[in-house]
Amino acid sequence: MNALPLLPYVVSAAAYVVYFARRSEPAGRVATVTLVLGALTHTFVIGMQTVQVGHIPFVGTTGAVSSFVCLLALAYLYTEMMTDERAMGVFIVPLMAILQLIPALANSVAPRPEVLAILDSPWFAIHVSALLFAYASFALACVVGVTYVLLFKELKAKQLGFFYARLPSLQVLDVMNGRAVTVGWVFLTVGLVVGAVWLLQEQPHTLDPRVQAMSLLDPKIFIVVVCWLVYSFELYARRAIGWSGRRAALLSAAGFTVLLLNFVPLSYFVTGSHNFY
Amino acid sequence: MHLLLVGTSHHSAPVDLRERVDFSRRGVPDALSVLDEIHGITEVVVLSTCNRSEIYVMCEDPSHQRDALASFMSAYHDVPESELAPHLYSRLDADAVRHLFRVAAGLDALVVGEPQILGQVKDAFTTASQRGCTGTLLNRLFQWSFGVGKRVRSETGLGEGAVSVSFAAISLAKKIFGDLTGARALLIGAGEMAELTATHLRTHGVGRINVASRTPAHAAALAATVQGEAVPWADITTQLTSADIVVTATGSSAPIVTRAHVDAAMRPRRDRPLFIIDIGLPRDVDPSSGEIEQVFLYNIDDLKTIVRENLTRRQSKVDRAESIVDEDVEQFMVWLGSRAAIPTLVALRRRFETIRQSELARLKPKLASLPPATQGRVDEITRLVVEKLLSEPTEQLRTTTDQERVAAYTDALNRLFKLQDDPNGTRSDPRSPASRSKVPTSRDR
Repeated sequence: MNALPLLPYVVSAAAYVVYFARRSEPAGRVATVTLVLGALTHTFVIGMQTVQVGHIPFVGTTGAVSSFVCLLALAYLYTEMMTDERAMGVFIVPLMAILQLIPALANSVAPRPEVLAILDSPWFAIHVSALLFAYASFALACVVGVTYVLLFKELKAKQLGFFYARLPSLQVLDVMNGRAVTVGWVFLTVGLVVGAVWLLQEQPHTLDPRVQAMSLLDPKIFIVVVCWLVYSFELYARRAIGWSGRRAALLSAAGFTVLLLNFVPLSYFVTGSHNFY
Repeated sequence: MHLLLVGTSHHSAPVDLRERVDFSRRGVPDALSVLDEIHGITEVVVLSTCNRSEIYVMCEDPSHQRDALASFMSAYHDVPESELAPHLYSRLDADAVRHLFRVAAGLDALVVGEPQILGQVKDAFTTASQRGCTGTLLNRLFQWSFGVGKRVRSETGLGEGAVSVSFAAISLAKKIFGDLTGARALLIGAGEMAELTATHLRTHGVGRINVASRTPAHAAALAATVQGEAVPWADITTQLTSADIVVTATGSSAPIVTRAHVDAAMRPRRDRPLFIIDIGLPRDVDPSSGEIEQVFLYNIDDLKTIVRENLTRRQSKVDRAESIVDEDVEQFMVWLGSRAAIPTLVALRRRFETIRQSELARLKPKLASLPPATQGRVDEITRLVVEKLLSEPTEQLRTTTDQERVAAYTDALNRLFKLQDDPNGTRSDPRSPASRSKVPTSRDR
């Protein structure tokens, strides 16, 4: 079922590439329309899976990646509508299509683990939704940041070419980056706080080794906290010491790279906690 | 019916002559009303811009109308024919179509790819169609040309990139700051170049313009011209801190703005970008200032390089644009060719219908005994037979692209069925209201 939205995402990604390379308006419209279709299908699929397993299917990496891609699609579409700017799609939608491959190939919803009644807690739902939304915002911020740097380099080097002709202004990119990081930071903070509260409630009552392994020293939790510090610093630097533009863009790109590392490989191989599947 | 174009442009005439034959001086509608009275012209559009004055007409006798239009231009603008004639050009049918498509696409412009021309072609057409001077053919031709203009622009990007130094500066500023409405500009120097750039900045919505000059009177004069504010020369460093765009254009032999100035100005600005346009020769700003983070320093040579690159880029897209024009000319000519067969087709259908009706009338006494439903059935069957008989020849004639073959077919049909003798008449009056639809038809290929 997770393969269902993959097709529109792939078509949309290809259309965004054509739109960006050739600046073809029809390709741009196809890109947006297929992305909307993809996001709707994806939301429907997640809804069906929720009915099937009795909770939102973001337990385990497969479900989490799928929900993340869906949220990213919605967040990106919202940005595209608000700014009337399609140029970012080429950097985001292909990433979504690649990420969606993970749940599409696994093609199953994580079975509901009998032992994990603790996951039924509303705290858990808020914790995961908030973090996934934060990740989607940071992904947007990262892409916007990278494009900022590309355009910045062209302008500095006085070599006006590919990106100069296609990207919005530095100012617009900087504002978009700032907003995406702020929204992401708020959700990351909420997600972390709720997670901590939930852990404090549950840890004394369960012997589950995965729950017991949850501490600041757990690689997954540690890295998320590092990311929180990076983004907090970016926001602080933006307001207090005037770091914006290229420096802010690089920080948000660095922050997301670490997050992405955390999201996929670490979840699979390293962490002792957070692997409820 | 032929499409004829007579006109003059920057390719054929010097500016003083172009000014004298500019239709907009007396108003295009006035010229249209005179042209509309010329015998033999069925449709007319006048295209008048600062670089061209052209008349597009539909007529039966192009060689005669060519002279008539040349005489009209000479008389209307009061320019001796002998003086005007060497600078006039004319194009017929496919060449005229190609010319208009190239004009609409910006390929015939003084600066290749200039985007304003498409709007001017649209205005010219609207003016003519609102006065009922256009009919089916020019409606379709001009609508088609708008499509060609748009297609060339979107598929080749021919009109992109600034091709003048001041526009290059403005487009850079927009790429850095986005909307220029809230931006603040500082002019250092009050010469002609500073004024020109300031005027462009003002046109593009720059909110505040401050002017500094070694001679306060010059600063005050320029500030008044561009609705800015004169600031003391000694305040340049302070001004640098608050400005977003700085234009330097002094005649000074030593740099006015040093790296230390910019460094000092950037500290309180933090990471707020500063765009410096140094159009002074020799340069007014220390080139190393451009190394500072968030300082974008462009001198006159950089801007000229951008302009040159844009022009080269446009030139490289010309071939693709020309092939788009060629494709569209061919398609338009096919459409036009199919139009030539229409009177014959109409006459043929009318002839067949007349025969059918007369046969039905002749058989009416015999059919009278049949029930009404059966009579209706007979009527329907005969109609269907006629339809079937005519459908293939109609399709063949409509899709034939070879003009000569269309002429041969229509001639044969006219002779075989004696269509010219059709008592109902086959040729519609081109000046009749039906053939002079004022409403532009949608483009239909």
